[in-house]
Amino acid sequence: MRIAPFAVVFSVALLAGCGGPETSQGNNAQASISNESRDSSQAASSNLEVRLSQGDAAKIMHDRHEAMEGLGKAMKALHRELDSSKPDINVIRAQTSIMASTAAKIPAFFPAGTGPDVGKTRAKPEIWTQQDLFIRKSKDFLAASQAIDAAAKAGDVNKVMALHENVDKACKACHDPFRAPEH
Amino acid sequence: MARAEQPVWDLPIRLVHWTLAGLIAFSWWSVHNHHTDWHIWSGCAVLTLLIFRLLWGFVGSSTARFSSFVRGPRTVLSYLSGRWTGIGHTPLGALSLIALFGALAIQVGLGLIAEDEDGLYTGPLYRLVSSDTSDKARDLHELWFNVILGLIALHVAAIIFYRLRGKHLTKPMITGRAVVGPETAPMRPGKWWVALICLGVSIGIVRWVIAGAPPFGHWAPS
Repeated sequence: MRIAPFAVVFSVALLAGCGGPETSQGNNAQASISNESRDSSQAASSNLEVRLSQGDAAKIMHDRHEAMEGLGKAMKALHRELDSSKPDINVIRAQTSIMASTAAKIPAFFPAGTGPDVGKTRAKPEIWTQQDLFIRKSKDFLAASQAIDAAAKAGDVNKVMALHENVDKACKACHDPFRAPEH
Repeated sequence: MARAEQPVWDLPIRLVHWTLAGLIAFSWWSVHNHHTDWHIWSGCAVLTLLIFRLLWGFVGSSTARFSSFVRGPRTVLSYLSGRWTGIGHTPLGALSLIALFGALAIQVGLGLIAEDEDGLYTGPLYRLVSSDTSDKARDLHELWFNVILGLIALHVAAIIFYRLRGKHLTKPMITGRAVVGPETAPMRPGKWWVALICLGVSIGIVRWVIAGAPPFGHWAPS
């Protein structure tokens, strides 16, 4: 009888697999900032120009969180509006404007010293270890969101719809490698 | 001398069982590996199986029918005291099945109206609710999976428990056959064309859901 062991392995694999991504985030839970970890993170980043104070880092991370949440809300509202029977260009414009302005802030939102070793964040350390790639992805998103915002400002709903997929792809292209899971 | 094996589970039951097990694993894997689009399709497939199983519970083989295994507490007690004979779901196993299928139905229902945190992916019926409700549904969808995991763990634990007491439950779910008591009434098999009609109906209903339900939205996972 080889089936019962298989069933056990199957269920254990499900359970074990479930724990995986969550345990990997254990370091995010540390909200307090330890000087020791900050020093080591600063030593690791060669292109750090300004030493962030504890308060500055916390403020950037808080503003960043709020801005990215607002960006998500704008994306959801845009998705719903474009999927409705009569998309309203004014609603669309309000969202694309938020998207374009937030996209422009992204590189400045991620200075070295604002990673998971410093406080609670879903920003992965890869943002700083693969900084060139991260900057490139953020520029892709900026270009995509500026293009869709320009189409919305011109009142061209069809063009907004055509460009929507590019924005989605740019979001995902950066989130997949650089953002930790939600929980 | 071993007694001859008799049919206890028909092919549709076994296919539903193993496909569901595979789809649950796949749904978990896909959503944790940035394949939310596959995750949504997997959920649609689970919905198809749930509807099929519901229909087959009324018109399928005798062991598949709800009327043969949904019993009151008295029958469950008589089973626990060892006075129950029959084939198919035991009165206790039936409770487990109802709990698992009920939990899966809730999970699919939450997924249908959910949206992801970035506004990239939506369940096919997300337009029927507000964005806030969709976000809450996503959170619950994630939490509810733990209930499903718990029920799966219980299910597997029960199989191991019976195996230790000498009763094989997994093999019959693969071959469809088991040795049964001589006085037990045999399974009355369902008709294959009835199964095909049930499958057609469940696919039809899910296509309608994917289209956005009542007036037809224009949803498509890309």
